[in-house]
Amino acid sequence: MTILHSKEKLTLASELIYEIKVKDAMHRDVISFSPDATFREIQLSLKKNRISGVPILDGNKNILGIVSIDNVMTALDEDYVNDKVKNYMTKEVITIPQNYSLVSAIKKFEHYKFGRLPVAKNARSNEIIGILTMGDILNYLLVSIQAIAEKAEKKEADNDNVSTEMARQTTKKRMRFEVNKADFDNAGRVASIVRNYLQKLKIEKQILRKIAIVCYEVEMNISIHSLGGSITVETEPSEVIITAVDYGPGIPDIDEAMKPGFTTASEQIRALGFGAGMGLPNIKKCADYLELESSMETGTILKATIRLGG
Amino acid sequence: MKIQDIVAILDAEVLTGEGYLNQEIEEFAASDMLSDVLALTKDNFLLLTGLTSQQVVRTAEIAGGIGVVFVRGKTPEPEAIGLARSHHIPLLMTSFLTFEASRAIVEAINKKETK
Repeated sequence: MTILHSKEKLTLASELIYEIKVKDAMHRDVISFSPDATFREIQLSLKKNRISGVPILDGNKNILGIVSIDNVMTALDEDYVNDKVKNYMTKEVITIPQNYSLVSAIKKFEHYKFGRLPVAKNARSNEIIGILTMGDILNYLLVSIQAIAEKAEKKEADNDNVSTEMARQTTKKRMRFEVNKADFDNAGRVASIVRNYLQKLKIEKQILRKIAIVCYEVEMNISIHSLGGSITVETEPSEVIITAVDYGPGIPDIDEAMKPGFTTASEQIRALGFGAGMGLPNIKKCADYLELESSMETGTILKATIRLGG
Repeated sequence: MKIQDIVAILDAEVLTGEGYLNQEIEEFAASDMLSDVLALTKDNFLLLTGLTSQQVVRTAEIAGGIGVVFVRGKTPEPEAIGLARSHHIPLLMTSFLTFEASRAIVEAINKKETK
């Protein structure tokens, strides 16, 4: 079973296989037989249910053995297909406890070359509560990855609702957003909401773009460099004013910080594609008017004004 | 040139946004530095990148990008796909390197112009 190792970039899948438990991915509707069943009965069941093996259980669901398609073929070959399975079935059964992670299951599949693993209630129990195949694992992984994408989509829809609500309240011209320190997953949320909102006010595309970029850059600056802060966006008939305030620690040398290429960002930030030392110069380029004040005691205040048309 | 043409030129897989491939590309950008992408001056650009984080899609959305191509067969984070679906931004994946992809696009543009 090399499927999970075949692609270079599967870090997410490898994280998930440690997180997900066997009980999450297994199927619970176990098709099983008693030791008094014949190979013929099992053969028909395998065909009907399109499976390749069944566990043999006693009255209390404790596992006694397993009959796979190989056992059935041997029975057909050697002409005991109408006999009971109890004397022929594989008795050394490997099971996996339900609270183990998928990693253990995958290791077992690789080691024993089985198509399926009966799932036991716990490590000391023989009671079978489910069956796990590599197909089940793959399915569950795909569903989990899909769910992450859907969650992000849902979050965006919520952002859109925020901007729609703002556009509806025509009297409210001032929006304030909190920005947390190092919250990169949400970085860009403010810019996205503001962009959406202004789009609904039918602001010209090039100006909209400038405003969104300023919002995004200040948002990144607050989450990368400060202890947290807030962004206020005021919409006037002739201009939009973006004010970013943070709680420190402040910029030691503003002139240096304004130089294109000057950066104090960490490797981690640079790996995300930011921290090129272009943030402040880029804000300056987009804004029609820029004020920047910083104190090592109280933090930084940035005020960017963008004129609407003309 | 449309995004649809890029799919053929780069032998790219469309990860999401099949319904939005008919948009006209006004500018191309190839960068692993999102700050540089934000400094572009034109809307309606196609971004080629080796980054895979959701911020790539966020940056394209904010700066007015209409599509993203992930080079070297890199797959984006699932969150990036969710974000792209919300904003109708097609995501493409190609096995070409950034340089090869850029060259293939330039060659296709030149070929189109001499016709």
